[in-house]
Parts: sequence; C-alpha cells; structure tokens
Amino acid sequence: MKPLTLAIPSKGRLMESAQELFEKAGYKIERLGTDRGYRGALVGLDNVEVAFLSASEIAANLKDGKIDAGITGEDLLREAIAPDNQIADVALRLNFGPANVVVAVPECWLDVAVMADLDDVAEQFYQTHGRRLRVATKYLALTRRFFAEKGVTGYRIVESLGATEGAPAAGTAELIVDITTSGATLLANALKILDDGLILQSCAVLAVAQHHKTDPRIVQIVTSLSRIVV
Amino acid sequence: MAGKSPAERQALERQNAAIMAVFERAGFDQIAPDIIQPADIFLERSGEDIRARTFVFNDPAGQELCLRPDLTVPACRYHLSHAENSAAEAKYCYLGPAFRFPDEKLSPQEFNQAGLEWFGAVDISAEARILKLAISALEAAGATGLKVTLGDIGLFTALLNDIEMPDRWRRRLRHQFWRPQAFQNLLATFAAGHSQKRTSISPIIDEFKNGDATTTWLDQNNIALQGNRTLAEISSRLAEKFADRSQKPLDGMKRQTIENYLNIEGAATDVPLLLEAISTTQQYSVACASFAKRLEFFEDAGLNPRRFKFSANFGRELEYYTGFVFQIEANSAHGPVAIAGGGRYDELLSDLGAAQKVPAIGCAIHTERLAAVLA
Repeated sequence: MKPLTLAIPSKGRLMESAQELFEKAGYKIERLGTDRGYRGALVGLDNVEVAFLSASEIAANLKDGKIDAGITGEDLLREAIAPDNQIADVALRLNFGPANVVVAVPECWLDVAVMADLDDVAEQFYQTHGRRLRVATKYLALTRRFFAEKGVTGYRIVESLGATEGAPAAGTAELIVDITTSGATLLANALKILDDGLILQSCAVLAVAQHHKTDPRIVQIVTSLSRIVV
Repeated sequence: MAGKSPAERQALERQNAAIMAVFERAGFDQIAPDIIQPADIFLERSGEDIRARTFVFNDPAGQELCLRPDLTVPACRYHLSHAENSAAEAKYCYLGPAFRFPDEKLSPQEFNQAGLEWFGAVDISAEARILKLAISALEAAGATGLKVTLGDIGLFTALLNDIEMPDRWRRRLRHQFWRPQAFQNLLATFAAGHSQKRTSISPIIDEFKNGDATTTWLDQNNIALQGNRTLAEISSRLAEKFADRSQKPLDGMKRQTIENYLNIEGAATDVPLLLEAISTTQQYSVACASFAKRLEFFEDAGLNPRRFKFSANFGRELEYYTGFVFQIEANSAHGPVAIAGGGRYDELLSDLGAAQKVPAIGCAIHTERLAAVLA
C-alpha cells in the first residue's frame, strides 16, 4: 500500500494543539532527521507519513492532490476549495483554533447595519466618489462568494497580507473581511461587524481528500481523534 | 485543447471574414483597439464579479493593467482618443481576442469577439439596423434558426419614474432590477411599510431628529471618522432611514403594476397591447410608443418581429445598457447557446470621459461559440 501523507501545521498554536491531540489519541508524531525537518512519522499507525507544512500550504496542497489529509483552519480550507468542489472535505471538526471570518466596516458608518446597507452604500459611493468601495482581505474567494450570496456588487477587493484591520484607518480600503476571535482588534481599530456579516465560524479541522475518505488508516485516525474531541 | 489546428483556424477565419464583410459593407470602419488596457477602467465599472474573471497584472511601475475582457470599453477608449469631437457620429467594427477566466461551458478563456459600435446620431431606426446587421452577419457565416430575445430597460425606468414614491425607493429598485430575488424582497419591504425588524443601528435612528444627530452620536461615543465617506453621506442615509419610518407603504396597486409589467413576455408584436394595459402614465406612454415605433423599424429593415420574443425581465445581467437590449441564440447539440448580444448604452462614453452624453449602440458576436454551433 502507498504511504498516506498526513500534513500537520509546522508552527504556532495550531501545531501545538495538533500534536497534543494526537498524543492524547495515542499516537506520537516523530520528526525525522533534525528537529527542524519537514518530514515525520506517526508512531502507532503504520504506513503514514507526516508532512510539516504551514496551515495555508496544507489547504493548497489538499486542493492540488499533493497530500491525502491534513489539519488546517476551516477558513483556509474554504478559501482554497469551493463548496461545490468535491476534491477534499472536512472529516472532523477539532475543537481548537476557533475564529470567525467576518465583514467589518468603520464604526462611524452609523447608517450601516446589514449587508443590504452595504450594497446601497456601494452604489452611492460610486456615484459620489467615482470609484468602488474597497474591501481589504486575504480571503478573496470567501469574500466573493459571500458578497454574491448577499447580492452585494460594486465593490473591489484589495488583497491584504497582514494587518488587514488597519486598512480603513490607513485609507487603503473602506472595509475589511478578516478573521477575529474576541473582536478586540476590530474594536481597537474602530470597526464593527455587520449584523449579518458572519461569513464562517471557523475552527481547526481534519480535512481529507475525497478518494481517501474510506481508507482504513483515515477511518482509524478519525475514530480515535473523535473520542478526544468533545 | 492547447490551440487550434490548421483546419479549425481556417474555418474560424473563413467564418469571421464573412461576418466582417457584412459589417464593413454597411459602412463601419474596422479598428483595432488595444488588447492591454488599464485595469481600473474595467474594474471600476463592473465590480468584483467581472474582476474575478479578468486577467489583471502589474507593469514594472506598479500600475494595474489587464487583458481586455470585452471590446466595447476598448472601442470607446479608441473613439475618445481618436475622434476630434466625441459626440460626432462614428461607426466602428472590430474583430479580436478577449480574455476571461472561464466560468461556464463553451467559454474558453481566450476567444475572438466580432462587433459593432455606433456612436452619435443613433435613434430608434439605428437600433433596428444594428439588430439587422447582427443577424445578417450570423447568417452570412452560415447560422440558421436564430432565436432573438428583446428587452427594454427604458420601459422599466419610465414606469418607475411615473409611479409616485420617494426618490430613494426608486433609486434602490432601479439598482436591484438586475437581481430578481433582491428586487422582489425590496418591493415587499416597501409594500409592508418600513421594516419592523430592529438592527444594531435602530437605537441611532431612534435618536435621529436632524443632521446633527450624527455628529452628536460620534462625539458622545468617541468614534473617529474613517473609511472615506463624509459625515454628510452618512447623515443623509440616516435621514432616509428615519424618513422611511413614517413613510406610507407602497400601495398594493402600485406594487401590482410593477409586478405585472415585469411578468410581460411574448412575441414582440403582441407586446404593445400588453404594455398599454399596464399603465397610461406619461413617461411610460412615451416609452411604449417608441417600443411600437421600433417594431415598425424592424419591419422596414426587413426583419420579422413576430418571430422575436420580448421579455420585460431581460437585460438583468447586462449592467451598462440603458435601453433596448437583445440577445441572439442558436441551437447546438447541448441546447440553445447565446452567440451574440447588444443594445443601447447612452451613458458609457460620458462615464469614460466624453464631455457630454453620447448616444451609443453596439453588438458583439462570440465567434468561437458560433463556430462550435456551426461545426
């Protein structure tokens, strides 16, 4: 049998939580070679290779079929893989790394509460300023999908690769789509979440390529992890 | 398939030569607008849905450029940079590639578009002429059994202008015309009076008595202004929301009139009677008269409008058109395929920088789809 490639986040809180979870489930993740190696093995389950990748690489590699399963954020997975694409899906939601992807606008927009307001404002903004409202985000696909669902058009995405919440204050965008846990960062930047602006309630997930869903090794991992995840 | 074989290339060239011969014989000058265009000009006009399908890239100086997703805007830019007087009559035709990330069947990411743009002196008879030329060109290329669907956004605008309601409601209905579901919801909201549902800004609207409420609220809550909208813009929308609370609901008759209009569908020659039955108000009657007049011009041009379908809904996906619109379909093994479309867009040239409003009509043929149908 071909070895199964399972990808684990290579750094940060996601890595720590993932390792802890596997240990509780009775597996040990061993790094091969030096401490900083990018390959490993899952002690306790034969024929599984572990790849250490960044969470966003895990989502991208699942899409490209380069890995068979991986732990990543649901936000990154949904951004990389459209819902109607069957290539990979969530096998198990893991109860760590909770975060919401939300639409947030300046607090001073007292006249804007819901997405429908945003559509109206977008139209007027174009008439008054001769340009489109700009949405700063790293979630291009999630934003396009959600805005289309809500019937909001007439905006432009400005790709933002960090400190997205500062974009409105810096004047590089009017509003943002970003991830938030407590909302404190948004508040500190005088931004508010729209009433119906919750795009995704994300947490860490175990995602599996479609053609490996029934693989006995995957079934075993899912079964033992689901006992730990409450 | 990575590219066209010699036989495919020759077939496409033969087909397109037949199309362009019809256009040029009719007095349209063939131009070659730039393939690489400034990205802003498209993206600011179309919004994120087109942007997601446009090939955008940066030049070394960081300026955003794109491969043209369509040839109408490039033809308009050609006109604005070449014509001494942008309002004077000009007739152009073109044939060349356009580029879009694919999103549906039969839509390759690079395809050749053949089209016409007619600027300046374009009245109703010119609309008939453009449709006639599009059909003649398709027939010259060998297409048969064409299905023509007509729409007219001018009728809807006129009807809405005649119905008494706050301007802000009219503006929002016009804006949502393109999205049937959102339009229905909005109409239902207006008919029910203002929405009773409380939102996070309801307390602010409760406090709202005059424009100063905005400033007071911002000061009291220590909220700084950011996000590029002015205080006046925010205040005026709050004032509208406040006014909506005491606004009489849209009465059932008016709502019914709008819905009845949008339900009209049928053979184009049956439509004038259906249109007249909807309303007899002023602007709308004028628009109905020009619709009937257009049918006469169709006959004069040698077209048979009895075979054209009219649908009041039609045009919903084509945002820059302002009046008459049409789409031509042909039958393929996979069912009907839209192979050409066009219409009137009187505001695009002034929007792109012309000193005044310049009437304009045009049409475009998707030549690869046509070739697929003919193959």
